[in-house]
Amino acid sequence: MNDDIRRIQEIMEREAYITDRQIATSVFLATALGKPLLVEGHPGVGKTEIAKVLARMQSADLIRLQCYEGLDATTALYEWNYPRQLLHIKLEEHSSTSLADREATLFSDAFLLKRPLLAAITHLGTPPVLLIDEVDRSDEEFEAFLLEVLSDFQVTIPEIGTIKAEHRPLVVLTSNRTRELSEALRRRCLYLWIDYPSFEKELRIVRSKVPGLSEQLARDVTALLQSLRRMRLSKLPGVAESLDWAAALVALHAVHLDEEIIRDTMGCFLKDDADFQVLERELANGHLAALTSVAI
Amino acid sequence: MTSGPGDPQLSRDAAGNGSGDLIDAVVMLCRDLRDRGVSVTPSESIDAARTLGHVDLGDRDEVRLALRTVLVSRREDFEAFDAAFDAAWRLPGGMAAPIPMPHLRADVRRPSNQPPKKNAPVSLQNWMKPNDGTSADDPIKVRAASDRESLGERDFSVYSADDAEEFRRLARQIARRLALRKGRRWKVAHRGERFDLRRTVRASLRTGGDAIHIVRRTRKLRRTRLVALCDVSGSMELYARFLLQFLHALQNTFARVETFAFATRLSQITGHLRGLKYRESLIGLGRDVRDWSGGTRIGVSVREFVDRHAELIDRRTIVLIMSDGWDVGDPQLLADAMRDLARRAGRVIWLNPLMGAPDYTPDTRGMQAALPHVDVMAPGHNIESLRAVARYLSL
Repeated sequence: MNDDIRRIQEIMEREAYITDRQIATSVFLATALGKPLLVEGHPGVGKTEIAKVLARMQSADLIRLQCYEGLDATTALYEWNYPRQLLHIKLEEHSSTSLADREATLFSDAFLLKRPLLAAITHLGTPPVLLIDEVDRSDEEFEAFLLEVLSDFQVTIPEIGTIKAEHRPLVVLTSNRTRELSEALRRRCLYLWIDYPSFEKELRIVRSKVPGLSEQLARDVTALLQSLRRMRLSKLPGVAESLDWAAALVALHAVHLDEEIIRDTMGCFLKDDADFQVLERELANGHLAALTSVAI
Repeated sequence: MTSGPGDPQLSRDAAGNGSGDLIDAVVMLCRDLRDRGVSVTPSESIDAARTLGHVDLGDRDEVRLALRTVLVSRREDFEAFDAAFDAAWRLPGGMAAPIPMPHLRADVRRPSNQPPKKNAPVSLQNWMKPNDGTSADDPIKVRAASDRESLGERDFSVYSADDAEEFRRLARQIARRLALRKGRRWKVAHRGERFDLRRTVRASLRTGGDAIHIVRRTRKLRRTRLVALCDVSGSMELYARFLLQFLHALQNTFARVETFAFATRLSQITGHLRGLKYRESLIGLGRDVRDWSGGTRIGVSVREFVDRHAELIDRRTIVLIMSDGWDVGDPQLLADAMRDLARRAGRVIWLNPLMGAPDYTPDTRGMQAALPHVDVMAPGHNIESLRAVARYLSL
């Protein structure tokens, strides 16, 4: 194994992000090749967390752009601070400064509201980590705009001129696949798919994130969640749900899993009434032991 | 840490391991991938070569994971990649450099922009021939094709492939319906059509009573997504070619459409339709959709859709299933899958071309199983029937 990849894996684990070879390799390549990393996977498998850990690893700032339907360039890139500009005009009404000077002041950095993309481009010092979260939620038009920014990391503001990034930020994009991303954007990025973790990996995650949990309970929680993911549920629980549940069990001072405590707490990991009924049925049929046994 | 293609580090590393073989192997891997339907751009090939300068070449798994990160851009292609990698990258006992396999070298010399002949289903190739919809013993062919009324009523099974414009017009109509429907609720908007006095006055307090910040509002838009599942099995062949052409037009008119084809299994074909000419789409589909014109397993396909693409279905999704309902699978499976689908989707519409026949009754087992969970069942055998369905295509 490449030493750098091993090191990244170690550092990520030290930052309490339990990882595997695929994740470490992709993260390493993103830094080595300087390309954006597109992370896809089911909800709750730790896609966003990668960017956060990456920022901590590099002691870099994390700049986050949360995408949503209708997100446009002004919200993502920059906007002039109009109220402040107008106030400034009022204040300067009777001053003797020339019009050109006044205008130059009015359209200077001080009146520029930097949104995440511009903030990432103009960032000084260590290149920041730019997290473009849930990019699948944005519109096609925005995706095209994003592609432009990601290809040369420069933007043109008519009143100021072209601003180019001195150091390219490290870009992480995440997608929940609610919409197929454009081929062009995919091509621009390295690709990482995060699957639901294996039993061993999830057990390590639960152990490290919920320290108060007994070893047996950690195993049972993980095994049950793993079994649930193999069942036909309308909303499969992610790792985030395992952790919520584990934390709830610690708070309730649970010692071991029984049907009663599962019934009381299953809202932590199931989010759909029909799924409740599926699990109820399994429990009523006395399948608890089977659900918490580790499948090979 | 960034390095270019001509980077000294790469040449040094590569030279140390016999650069010729390495680069060859990457080039061949890329070609093999293209043959397997995974598109690889030249810049990705270059990145792949650069990658080799950064990984431990003696560690096969690491090479595989690294190349996959660079060369593949969707999870669906992982399988094809792993197969191609296994073929291209053999590491005989302890050798540090991969040995390209001779059989592969011969195999991949085929020009890669043409689909491998053996893989393209016969029927799809026929689809590319112009105008074979009207056969000699067809009474309808004497009608003037320019007459829109009669064109609209004509059954797709006797349709001509040249009537694409008709599909495009219909797709635009539907897209308009689906696109921006104004909702009931208001939101603040820069270019809203109404003046929001309350918020403006409130904002003016911050600026000493002068209304500097003028707030406007507009109606919130309601967005609908359309997901189409098109049966391309043998029994649907006559209709599928036109429904597909319609879906192609729709895919390229309206952004929030996802298209799937199924026969025995489900394939997402959104990428095959979007941004391509219809003819190019067919070439791509012939290459990648393996079970074209095969048997039908609707239940399995709908199940796969519900399980694997759950994120596409919500209350703002209209699911359009185009199938004749001839299912060779277990009807219970279809019923369960349809129930789950109906529970989560905003509306489920089933287009059955056989309904175009006056004496048709939906008594196939598949149709019987699916019907209780379908909101709208309609024929889809001609343009007129598709146009009629358009009015159900908004939520």
